[in-house]
Amino acid sequence: MSVDESALTASQPLTSAWRRSRIGAFLSQPVSWVFLSVGSIIAFLSLYPTFFLFYGSLTDAPLGLPGKFTLQNYVRAYSDPEAYPLMVNSFIFGFGSAGLSLLFALTLAWITIRTNAPLRRLFELTAIIPNILPPILVSISWVMLLNPSNGLINGAFVRVLGLEKGPFNIYSMAGLIFVEALILTPLAFLIVAAAMKSMDPSLEESAKTLGSNEFGVMRRITFPLLRPAILAAGTLNFVRAVESFDTPAIIALPARIEVFTTKIWREALGSFPTNHNLAAAYGVGILGIALVFVYLYRRFTSQVESFSTVTGKGFRPHQIDLGRWRFAASGVAFLLLVMLVVLPILVLLLVAILPYYHVPTWQTWQNLTLDHFRYVWATPRVHKAFMNSLFLALVGATACMVLASLASYITVRTKIAGRGIIEGLVFIPWAFPGTAMALGLLWAYVDFPIPVYATVWIILIAYVTRFLPYGLRAVTSTIIQVHKELEEASIVCGAGFLATFRRVMIPMMRPGVMAGWIILVTIFMREFSATLFLYSPGAEPLGPLLYFLYLDGMRGRVAAIGLVISLISVILIAIAQRYSRWDTN
Amino acid sequence: MRSKYSFYGSLVILAIFTAVPGWGQSAKTIEAGKKEGKVVIYGSLESDTTDAIKTAFTKKTGIEAEYWRASATKVMDRALSEQRAGKPLFDIILTNDNPMQIMFKQGLFAKYESPTASDFPKDAIDPNLGPRYRNVIIGVVYNKSALSPADTPKTLEDLVNPKYRGKIVMPDPTQHTTTTQWVASLWKLMGKEKAEKYIRDLAAMKPILVESLLPAAERVATGETPIAITYVKYAYMYGKKGAPLDYSRLGKFMGDGHYLGLNSKAPHMNAGKAFIDYFLDDDSMKKMAELGEFVNRKGVYPPLPDADKIQFVEMVDLDTKGFAAKKKEYQQIFLR
Repeated sequence: MSVDESALTASQPLTSAWRRSRIGAFLSQPVSWVFLSVGSIIAFLSLYPTFFLFYGSLTDAPLGLPGKFTLQNYVRAYSDPEAYPLMVNSFIFGFGSAGLSLLFALTLAWITIRTNAPLRRLFELTAIIPNILPPILVSISWVMLLNPSNGLINGAFVRVLGLEKGPFNIYSMAGLIFVEALILTPLAFLIVAAAMKSMDPSLEESAKTLGSNEFGVMRRITFPLLRPAILAAGTLNFVRAVESFDTPAIIALPARIEVFTTKIWREALGSFPTNHNLAAAYGVGILGIALVFVYLYRRFTSQVESFSTVTGKGFRPHQIDLGRWRFAASGVAFLLLVMLVVLPILVLLLVAILPYYHVPTWQTWQNLTLDHFRYVWATPRVHKAFMNSLFLALVGATACMVLASLASYITVRTKIAGRGIIEGLVFIPWAFPGTAMALGLLWAYVDFPIPVYATVWIILIAYVTRFLPYGLRAVTSTIIQVHKELEEASIVCGAGFLATFRRVMIPMMRPGVMAGWIILVTIFMREFSATLFLYSPGAEPLGPLLYFLYLDGMRGRVAAIGLVISLISVILIAIAQRYSRWDTN
Repeated sequence: MRSKYSFYGSLVILAIFTAVPGWGQSAKTIEAGKKEGKVVIYGSLESDTTDAIKTAFTKKTGIEAEYWRASATKVMDRALSEQRAGKPLFDIILTNDNPMQIMFKQGLFAKYESPTASDFPKDAIDPNLGPRYRNVIIGVVYNKSALSPADTPKTLEDLVNPKYRGKIVMPDPTQHTTTTQWVASLWKLMGKEKAEKYIRDLAAMKPILVESLLPAAERVATGETPIAITYVKYAYMYGKKGAPLDYSRLGKFMGDGHYLGLNSKAPHMNAGKAFIDYFLDDDSMKKMAELGEFVNRKGVYPPLPDADKIQFVEMVDLDTKGFAAKKKEYQQIFLR
């Protein structure tokens, strides 16, 4: 017996025991290692900033300095009489904009999917175009249209009707709600339209056969069927509104309407001396609200199939013949699209060629200029911001989709014990408002051994963490549709986990991965709420640049940059579509 | 004949060296700065003005300059945050007196005596911060198209006339440090009792509150709001672009100094010094004056009408606690 053989024999009982143990069996599979790696990364991304947000709110020293435990920040934040109007304002803003966006989305979805209105397909496609426009630009363009003194629409009313002053005031709660609702409409439209498309028409047909008229069918059948999707879209948009800083930064701050995000901005960045601890205490408050509503959202979505899932059922919803009213329906859809897309883009185009923003007169047409585009072309700060945003969009979206693909595969396709933990961990970033997460990240990385603070990497971490659920949703909806037989066949043929994942799952998941990637790229190109808190002047992406140029009154430059961002987003989408064979229909 | 030429030659050489004071020192600094590659500046000086200076600086020295502009408040907050985190990324800070003094007290600046600093009057040299290279004058700027000449405010007191309610824009005194100082200094112009009442009356006019002085001026230029409390120089700067702006000749204005400081932990120390040398130089000062700045050079004025007649009272300086107290006080007055 050779030495080697004896060693083998001696260790045999031990090895067998190891193999018999559950941990050994678990660790012997490559998929388990993938689960552990993905789980650890997601746990770190989700929990680390959450912990530090609480830490920041419970300490008395400024960011970057060691402090003592205190509850004073919570006492100060929530015993302040001003905290209550702030909460009331946030709820009015959240419910108002979520409700109005639902109304717009339902109207548009009903006209484009359920009626025979002319040009409905075109309206359906253009309803998602606003996604390429940074929300901050939508807010800015509506300020230029509806500000009480020289808003273009107000100006037109004054001239045509001879009024003393314009009828609209964007610097009001109504203005704030209106603009946020326009920004949120595409998201509500996607959810509601998907539910409308996948509705089983046999129920409606049965009701009609039993003598119900169109209104009765809508009230008794269509609406109850859509209710979960409506509630899901409503709660999601409520959370998105409450956590957004884009519109409040442009409208609420000058209008002196205080909501959670403006208060956080005021305390953490906007004034001197700043108080990151107090801002963190407000951040915990907004996180609490978001958690409750995201929990409700998930309950509602569990009642309706995933909004981006193709159901595979071979039916088309019953189409309502509007008769002569079909042109009126097209008119309403057109009006909504004018508000969502046409007016903001036209205003940006106009402002980008004016020497300085003003209500155009006949003389204006002689003074048109391309100076703002020249500025975009010739300014290193702008080039750097574009490069930073492109880097964040391309690298961030790719990293996010890789992580989402693996996480989605584990949660949907494997029976690994503990896979539910990943789902639970992803729930945190889904609910985490951008501003609150940014505060948590600041506290988390200010003393981190790897120098991430004040670099583009901290923004990348924020994006991947915050938007991982978006990627996950896109991939999961595709994985569900890939039949298990393909994967089993690969394993039967001797391929391991990694080979199966690479050769079978990735090609099959490609449409979902690319769809998620495209959505993330457009979001990352225009992200603002979290970026504003995390960026540093050396690593400035486009969101903060646009905001600071706007604050400096350089609206022409803002418009020119905004148009270039939109163009780049369209080009990226076109390229991705070409390579993914992804069909928007 | 030859001695005559040598005499004139010597004069020319002498003239070159007097025109570029400390040239030898600057040349060495520039060479070292070139090796560092670039200088990073955070400041509240307007981007268009800084762009002109940056371009000339890079042309002259070969050193690239990166500039991040924000309000004085944001510049100070950003610089202090980076210092606290132990990761300062800037070389130069360029902003108002009060924030500069606060940053100086927190040990943000290195002592650097630029050879070009000697061109400034002695009374314009701060012992901590060096030369006060320009003054910023806060006044009342209005849109001539929106107000008839008879309707324009002539004094600060005019601003609280009910006819201007909702027609005034100003930076938020609870956020913008220079405006906090301006409000806190009004007693210097009108006495304590009158100033206290005036502040409440001004808040009652429900002015639109914006981020800083520049967006206030911009709103007047666009006609969005007829009247702004802002730097008077914007009447010239926006006027150049075609905006119909003018400013009220108030008699006495309120003003502040502007300084630049070198970060004591500057990542590009020599490039920073080279920038300061150029920035305080005659060439740069003239460029700034042409662009509308009140630089601290005798007889040099911006092309703003009646600029030479402007007299101003220095605003009070506040420390961190003072700002916190005023922020709280003005929140009660302006945000309610």
